[in-house]
Amino acid sequence: MAPGRRIAGMLLCRSGESRVAFAAREVATIELPRDMVRPVGAARQAFGEPEGAERVLVADSGEAVGVDALEIDAEPLEVLPVPVLLRTMGGGSLRGFVLARGMLWPLVSLVDFGRYLAPPEEVT
Amino acid sequence: MASTETETRQTYLVFACGSSWYAVPAECAAEVVSFPELTRVPGAPMHLMGVFAHRGEVIPVVDMGMLVSGESEPTRRAVLVRLPRGTLALTASRVAGVSHVEGRLEPLGPSGVHLHLRGPARSAQRDVAVIEPEGLFDHLSQGG
Repeated sequence: MAPGRRIAGMLLCRSGESRVAFAAREVATIELPRDMVRPVGAARQAFGEPEGAERVLVADSGEAVGVDALEIDAEPLEVLPVPVLLRTMGGGSLRGFVLARGMLWPLVSLVDFGRYLAPPEEVT
Repeated sequence: MASTETETRQTYLVFACGSSWYAVPAECAAEVVSFPELTRVPGAPMHLMGVFAHRGEVIPVVDMGMLVSGESEPTRRAVLVRLPRGTLALTASRVAGVSHVEGRLEPLGPSGVHLHLRGPARSAQRDVAVIEPEGLFDHLSQGG
């Protein structure tokens, strides 16, 4: 993501003790974990915390990420670039950082983060 | 810089994390900061404590204790190391100041982070590990 870029419309999500943000335009639906037909990775896993989620964000292409809680932020915010050191972390899903609600949030791609967290497919 | 040099002409910022002392070239040590509550990064290794925003830049904080010895040293202070590719913060429980370093500047180990720590060296009667910043940056970029 280019330096100085702004984003409007985000889902600010809590995952255990940590937080993560998604562009709202990437989220097709918000589901309950019990309604998912296949296992979904939880954002907590990426922070080394026990699995668990209260809601699941689902992309148009099917990738999904479980989170504990979420709120919508409509304000346009500047996206701070990802430091070179962090470019490969989270499966390369980091798109930048945003300052919202007085805190810094990692902004990740729902599709790439969903792929990074996806449980391995069972071989039948 | 020759690996067998007995005294460097460079000056170094000397700091400690726990009981271990380190020296980083003064030319790339930008400042010593007290960092705020950190934002954790998804998928980050244990030694990457998190990030904070500083003058419009997102700075990763590296726990030197965890990185080098696998034991975390609680502190809210860090040395900002500024390199052409970016800035990183190395945790520091104490900062001794800027001085010269004497000793051999050979890798302290054959692989991992120790490949980018040099010595044995001394500064102001202390044993120090001299940090080779670009190599350390590469090492951390590859996940540490």
